[in-house]
Amino acid sequence: MTQTPMTQAPVLAQGQSATATTKPARPLLKVENLSVEFGPKASPIRVVNGVSFEVDAGGSVGIVGESGSGKSITSLAVMGLIPSPPGRIVEGRVEFEGTNLLEMQKARLPDIRGRDIAMIFQEPMSSLNPVMTIGDQIGEAIKLHEKMSREQRRERIVELLKLVGIPNPEGRLGAYPHQFSGGMRQRVMIAMAVACNPKLLIADEPTTALDVTIQAQVLELMHKIRRTLNTSILLISHDLGVIADVCERVVVMYAGRVVEEADVKSIFRNPSHPYTRGLLQSIPRLNDERSRLYQIPGSVPLAGTVKKGCPFFARCPDRIGRCAEEMPPMFAVSKSQRAACWVTAGANEGATAAVTAGVTAGGGVSEGATA
Amino acid sequence: MSTVIQPSSLSPDVDNTIAPEPGFRAAIMHMIFGRKSTVFALVVMLIFIVVAVLAPWISPYDPLAQSFLSINKPPSAAHWLGTDQFGRDVLSRMIHGSRNSLLFGLISPALAAIFGTALGVTAGYFGGAVDRVISRLIDLLLAFPELLLAIMIAAVLGGAFWNIIAVITVAFIPGFARVARASTLAVKQEPYVEAAVAVGLRTPTIIIRHIIPNIAAPIVVLMTLWVASAIRLEASLSFLGIGTRAPNPSWGNIIRDGLNNLFGSPWPIIAAGFAITCVVLSFNLFGDAVRDVLDPETAE
Amino acid sequence: MMNARIEEGITPRTGKQAGDDFITVEGLGKTFSENRMFGSSGSAVRAVDGASFTVRRGETLALVGESGCGKSTLGRLLLRLIEASEGEVTVDGTRLMALSQGDMRNMRAKMQMIFQDPYGSLSPRRSISQIISEPLEVFGMVQSSRQRRERVAELLSQVGLSPTFMDRYPRQFSGGQRQRIGIARAISVNPQFIVADEPVSALDVSVQAQIVNLMQDLQQSRGFSYLFIAHDLSVVRHIADRVAVMYLGRIVEIGPKARIYNAPSHPYTQALLSAVPEPDPETRRARIILKGDVPNPANVPSGCSFHTRCPIAQDICKRERPKLAETATATATATEIGHLAACHFAKPMPIPVG
Repeated sequence: MTQTPMTQAPVLAQGQSATATTKPARPLLKVENLSVEFGPKASPIRVVNGVSFEVDAGGSVGIVGESGSGKSITSLAVMGLIPSPPGRIVEGRVEFEGTNLLEMQKARLPDIRGRDIAMIFQEPMSSLNPVMTIGDQIGEAIKLHEKMSREQRRERIVELLKLVGIPNPEGRLGAYPHQFSGGMRQRVMIAMAVACNPKLLIADEPTTALDVTIQAQVLELMHKIRRTLNTSILLISHDLGVIADVCERVVVMYAGRVVEEADVKSIFRNPSHPYTRGLLQSIPRLNDERSRLYQIPGSVPLAGTVKKGCPFFARCPDRIGRCAEEMPPMFAVSKSQRAACWVTAGANEGATAAVTAGVTAGGGVSEGATA
Repeated sequence: MSTVIQPSSLSPDVDNTIAPEPGFRAAIMHMIFGRKSTVFALVVMLIFIVVAVLAPWISPYDPLAQSFLSINKPPSAAHWLGTDQFGRDVLSRMIHGSRNSLLFGLISPALAAIFGTALGVTAGYFGGAVDRVISRLIDLLLAFPELLLAIMIAAVLGGAFWNIIAVITVAFIPGFARVARASTLAVKQEPYVEAAVAVGLRTPTIIIRHIIPNIAAPIVVLMTLWVASAIRLEASLSFLGIGTRAPNPSWGNIIRDGLNNLFGSPWPIIAAGFAITCVVLSFNLFGDAVRDVLDPETAE
Repeated sequence: MMNARIEEGITPRTGKQAGDDFITVEGLGKTFSENRMFGSSGSAVRAVDGASFTVRRGETLALVGESGCGKSTLGRLLLRLIEASEGEVTVDGTRLMALSQGDMRNMRAKMQMIFQDPYGSLSPRRSISQIISEPLEVFGMVQSSRQRRERVAELLSQVGLSPTFMDRYPRQFSGGQRQRIGIARAISVNPQFIVADEPVSALDVSVQAQIVNLMQDLQQSRGFSYLFIAHDLSVVRHIADRVAVMYLGRIVEIGPKARIYNAPSHPYTQALLSAVPEPDPETRRARIILKGDVPNPANVPSGCSFHTRCPIAQDICKRERPKLAETATATATATEIGHLAACHFAKPMPIPVG
């Protein structure tokens, strides 16, 4: 997979075009057996437990889960942003283009963060500096990672603002964050994030704070970013609608664990974990005529309270005796789908534990890279 | 305590997992033993209170009894802290003086907390003209330094016990009123206050049930901190001669009396100064610990 | 006199049939003015403008719109938690705006509220039984503490919580459980009308379904009406009988659920519906992407306030404000009547979707 040529990506950074040729065999991001604990060392609470997934170059992966599923902590761990002391990564690898970010020197991390991996958050207001102009803030992101003259930089900022759909970009360079609406601020955040043409964009609930018509605009923008810049996306969301819209692969998390991982069609057409099934049935849809919603009984277990067995056991309609005793590993359901469920594994005769097999994350670019 | 509901009548989707009860006792224990300084403070406070309560029984001499045979004596086996210029036993005067400090230290902040909170909550909850009047009044009081205000009032009213209490109380009211008003403004925005209105509660009930319990933490913290200030203020007033009047003992006027013969016999000043410092410091340390438990957000 | 009316409210009605108008709202409006401190007129925000509608006995009217459209303010105006600038609300024959504070308080036995924020809406220093029994005490519906505890236990099990929790404090409960407690508080006095202000917006997907189902079950067994305020159109589809859509303080479309979802006649309703991301990767709806943002409510555009973002706006839309008018034609069937839209070009699917 080669980088999109300059002509099609006007905001592409100077000097970056040659560097990003990746071998297709190696995923862009590979998270392996990642575990994060919080609290005192004597009685730690494990909020992320053995999470593994991959993001291909140019691919888009969604992590979906409810509050307490550990999805946001996972994304912070990838960025090296786990607040410590209370939190720490206790095991696992986060490989970006073959380098383990967790073993990388602290000093080199900011270099990758922001340039190769960028992040956008749920609340754009708190992520922007209220006393700096929009132009300066985007300029700062560029200045950190690239050498450019003042004029070049200014030109670039205007280009970026145009890309994310800020009307009259030249006129808005001197504006402050509070002069923008929520949706516009999220656009500015996205402009900052893609300023250095990152290879991976991590978006943590990017549209949750936005109204539905504004959400539609921002989702459209994320598609455009992927198309024009060929940026891989790791999207964290509780909203299956948003996930279905943006992602090619989906990782379902529950109580700190990955319970299912598959391409987006399999997740929605053939969900293999009882939790995924329950989640899909419980969401209200615009076009369905059920008078009553399906409900998963009970509530998400408190972090760290499930000591053995499957964390979904207490709420699971299909549970068997084994589920209470042993945490199921990830079983391959099909070539591109894995689920951590004893019942599913039993039903799929001949399914083998795919813990080590590592089903390759598909993805890649589905749409043509032309604008 | 008996309830008519049998488990069988519960709806099938009964949701039965809740978080464990947070350990309040553990938090208190941690507050006391978590820091050495708090243990020190509690020990000093305990000694102070016991001494003040038991003063008549434990003081070796009558604090007012003069003896011309032993004037300005240094510490000895008979007089552990020596004697003053009238030959009175300094230790006995210190012990009796602690009662004044304790009374002023507890009564004034408590009264100030009651009046100040009432004013502050009224201003904060009702807002508008009520708020403007009360706030201006508080600003007016705040414009004077506490000590100056106390001197002014004491000079007008004289130095009787309740006058001094009144003086210190008035000096402290603005602080409580401001904290109460600011906290009330914040709590009033909470959805549960709107919920109380929607439920149909009367305004006084809302204030008592839903506002005051939720602003209590900063008020209690302020109170513990101001016990120390009250003790200090009482000593200052007595030192200036408008607090506790001679010959009655108070830590403030022990220092004042001792000043006349600072170089000849420094013992009274050293003893009273040390006692004031220890007690004030202890109440401050204790106040910090209380704040850490009740009001973790404002703690550094 | 008030008491007699309250009594009436507690016992289920038998005299009147379900479906008649319980609440009538006429020309209700609210203007918030800023900067009154400094005497200048400041900028006035028209949060709600001329809202007129009815809520029938036992039905759920959903009020949808984006943030800042005035839907929460409108809900509070109905309960007089915010005093209206003009207009009238008639509840079961009683004109609310004329009531004294005390009479209004008595009225609250009939009209309760469920709040959006499950964390903020329960007093942190009061036990669950104190929280739930508060309205019961206000209206003298429990005499002894034993009776109170029995009633609380009953209510807790009705909302799917174990009665053993009644002496616990809110901080021990999850968001969904707290929302159940809030619901128990609201239904404790057997109200006839409940304003539910985004009751499931702050909850996780799986919990959301539990609460929506609970609210429906309670309505079925008790027959009260809901004003269900929401921004999520898919949730509304499940719970509403009729839907009102608000934009910039005004109701732009109102009608039976089937009409709003199958034949939306205002371009804004259209855009809202099309913007909901479908939880299905294979059925992609043609999405109407609106231009720009919601205008500042302190400076509402002239004419039709939606014209700045409307894909089918004409010159007339900038000049003339369209009235909320019946969309049904002469040949309309009974189910199509009562579907009103405020658009000069109102017709089902006015925006060509391609």
